[in-house]
Amino acid sequence: MCQGMEGLHFSCKEFSPVVFAGKKVGGMILDHSSRNKKVRQFFLPPLTTRFFIRLSLISVSAYFFFSYICLPLRVQGNSMEPTYRNGGINFCWKLRYLFSEPKRYDVVVVRFAGSKVTLLKRVVALEGESVEFRDGKLLVDGKSIDEPYVRYPCLWNLAPRRVEMDHVYVVGDNRSMPIENHYFGRASMKRVMGVPLW
Amino acid sequence: MVKTKTILIAAFIVMGGILATLLFFPSEEKKVKKQFTLFSEWVSKNPGESTFTMAHKVKSIGTLFAESCELKEPSLSLSGSYSREEITSIALRGRTYFSDFSLKFYDLNISLSEKEVARVTSTVKLTGKSTLGESADETRELVCLLRKIKKQWLFSQVEMVEVLRK
Repeated sequence: MCQGMEGLHFSCKEFSPVVFAGKKVGGMILDHSSRNKKVRQFFLPPLTTRFFIRLSLISVSAYFFFSYICLPLRVQGNSMEPTYRNGGINFCWKLRYLFSEPKRYDVVVVRFAGSKVTLLKRVVALEGESVEFRDGKLLVDGKSIDEPYVRYPCLWNLAPRRVEMDHVYVVGDNRSMPIENHYFGRASMKRVMGVPLW
Repeated sequence: MVKTKTILIAAFIVMGGILATLLFFPSEEKKVKKQFTLFSEWVSKNPGESTFTMAHKVKSIGTLFAESCELKEPSLSLSGSYSREEITSIALRGRTYFSDFSLKFYDLNISLSEKEVARVTSTVKLTGKSTLGESADETRELVCLLRKIKKQWLFSQVEMVEVLRK
């Protein structure tokens, strides 16, 4: 026997403390305790076979998703400033160009030998188009292109060149450095891995 | 009970054997990878590196290359066939220019289709600070050919791939 509230006597076999509290003080406490139980069950679930199957399925799916579909990436360098700042975290969405081709102004992820180190650049010209820089102005097929994302003025000069088939012309948004120090140019479509998620 | 115990011991021995084999008899791919790790280690320079360490590293770099190695690196004006000594001298010049220098290889794809020839594509990342205080941060793709000469994988061709062409 154990002593209950207000002098009532209950058998411990008949009433668990939780049920007792809920019945005596009201539904609020019962909800609170059941919520606690649910939270505890969520973070510390019973180690059943079902739990392990669920855990393995989630782990395998997460591995494939983050290795082949949505790759985490960290921005290093300032060639895409101010659009993408140094040290920023993002994801490369690889399914973006599964059924479509990159368009002008798209920010794309360009790969080197693999996907561990990549480049983040903006597409400014497509295959068959001619690209040129004249006193910092980008000209595509001889016409000046509006580039609202370029914040830092530059005085780059580059003779016209044509973008080959299955290629795109990519440049970074930050053109404050001398043209020799900025890595840009024609990239094969095979190297375009995807787009940043945001 | 005894049976389970025997099975467990047998499994443990088999696992140990597999691990030992992997450790003491590395695959050809691992041997090739090791050369890249050594190259990266010996080319890199830590600030305040002692003269003795520097001499040892520079001397060791030459041992990773074949007697004659073809370099195709137009952006650094390095194109043609170079001897081990010449490569050591280039490495020494490069190391002298930097006070702090790091070279790392990523995404090593090793193909051993030909006999005793390994074709490796990789991404190389160079970071450093020159003695004048200028920062360097370059990433390039390399295609290297390594040949197995006297049981050692040696660099016989290094070519830079232009990922973006201006």
